[in-house]
Amino acid sequence: MSAFVYVTYIYTTPQKVWDAITKPEFARKYWLHYNVSDWKKGSRWEHQKGDDSGEVMIDGTVLESDPPRKLVTTWTRPDKSKEPSRVTYDIAEYSPGLVCLTVTHDALENDPAMAASVSGGWPKVLSNLKSFLETGKSENIWLTKNKG
Amino acid sequence: MANSSFVYVTYIRAPKQKVWDALTKPEFQKLYWFGGHQESDWKKGSSWKMYMPQHGLTDTGEILESDPPNRAVIKWRNEFRPELKEEGYSRCVYELAQEDDLTKLTILHTIEKENAKLIHAVSGGWPRILSSLQSYLETGRAHGDTRSMAAQAHK
Amino acid sequence: MTNKNKLTTEPTIYVTYIATTAEKCWAALTQSEFSKQYFFGQIVEGDWRAGGKIRYRMPDGSEHIEGEILNFDPPRHLRFTWRIVSMAGLKHLPDAIVSYRIEDAGEGVIRLTMLEEHPTPIDERLLGGGRSGWPAILSGLKSLLETGAVPKIAPPTPPQEMLDYMKEHGA
Repeated sequence: MSAFVYVTYIYTTPQKVWDAITKPEFARKYWLHYNVSDWKKGSRWEHQKGDDSGEVMIDGTVLESDPPRKLVTTWTRPDKSKEPSRVTYDIAEYSPGLVCLTVTHDALENDPAMAASVSGGWPKVLSNLKSFLETGKSENIWLTKNKG
Repeated sequence: MANSSFVYVTYIRAPKQKVWDALTKPEFQKLYWFGGHQESDWKKGSSWKMYMPQHGLTDTGEILESDPPNRAVIKWRNEFRPELKEEGYSRCVYELAQEDDLTKLTILHTIEKENAKLIHAVSGGWPRILSSLQSYLETGRAHGDTRSMAAQAHK
Repeated sequence: MTNKNKLTTEPTIYVTYIATTAEKCWAALTQSEFSKQYFFGQIVEGDWRAGGKIRYRMPDGSEHIEGEILNFDPPRHLRFTWRIVSMAGLKHLPDAIVSYRIEDAGEGVIRLTMLEEHPTPIDERLLGGGRSGWPAILSGLKSLLETGAVPKIAPPTPPQEMLDYMKEHGA
């Protein structure tokens, strides 16, 4: 698979979605990890583990930044063992009070393991983001005790 | 074999039975499926029909498999758009799994045809419906539809 | 002053022009996310075919109006029987028929005609209910479609003569 696309509709504002992606303490609430950057085009971006160890799980560069409508970054394994992929966040007001968020993760042809991982990860993260923005609550999505 | 498919996974903070009931019972569907509902008893072999306010009867088919509240497979054909109807029957799988407080809902919608217009259409519709379902189950508030579902689904 | 016990088949008609499309007006009339904003909080739901059921429910989910769809022609004409199922003093009444007709009336404008028919004669005093209710409902619908918001219209109280009728019939 070369691209993963996920569309979700959330009762919120585009600014709140932008902040949820780009403010570290906000991302921590539903992604369970931090997104750290000044979000300017060309700047570095780090996805840091939420346990405050400072461990960088993913990093990359900001390719486009048009708050609160569009953010594009590369998505790179820190050990650079594979070529980078790319993530685009499109944030649009679908109707008053309802935002359409489209996340496109492409350029995954050369990293099938990453493709598999993010196909499972994005729905968890984005469902949790939606829940968090609509209810104020979120789950520990990376830790599942009971399955059934 | 040439194939078109759409897959969507969402996690909803509600028990699996509640998600199943919301997906299959008209009194719940009417609350979040943009005014639409389906008529079926969800038993294997039974007929399945969907009605929407904008068009009346929109889709027909049959229940191929049913394992409440875990899995259902629907044979599904669009009825009101000729170019979709002529593509014939698609197959839609609902899978529900409980993961702690979350229900993982997977929708897999496929048809044996490449670049099928039907799959393109439902690729627009499913995220709308499932976002509305999640909002409804988690907050009590579903989504309204300010454009006709058909126009939106075919964008 | 109307006469007690005088029967009538007089219909109630309300016409309004709304800057919207027929599809959007139809959606607002047939989907609960919209009806609850302008129809005194009530949720509309239907089986969306001729012969199917249609219901208006109170915010708590209890049924208020029940009917059968007679004409289903989206997005132009919806006509259905109208039976009050919830209120002592009114639920014994014969079915009325309510219809919404949507017609083009200029560029970007539709004309919505609501018709409440009383094929079986009813006490004249009951007409006041629809005459006070429908303008509030349909003004709210117009505001919703034109501005996205509904003003906080206080639900009108039925005229005294209608309250008298209801009291006489077990309310």
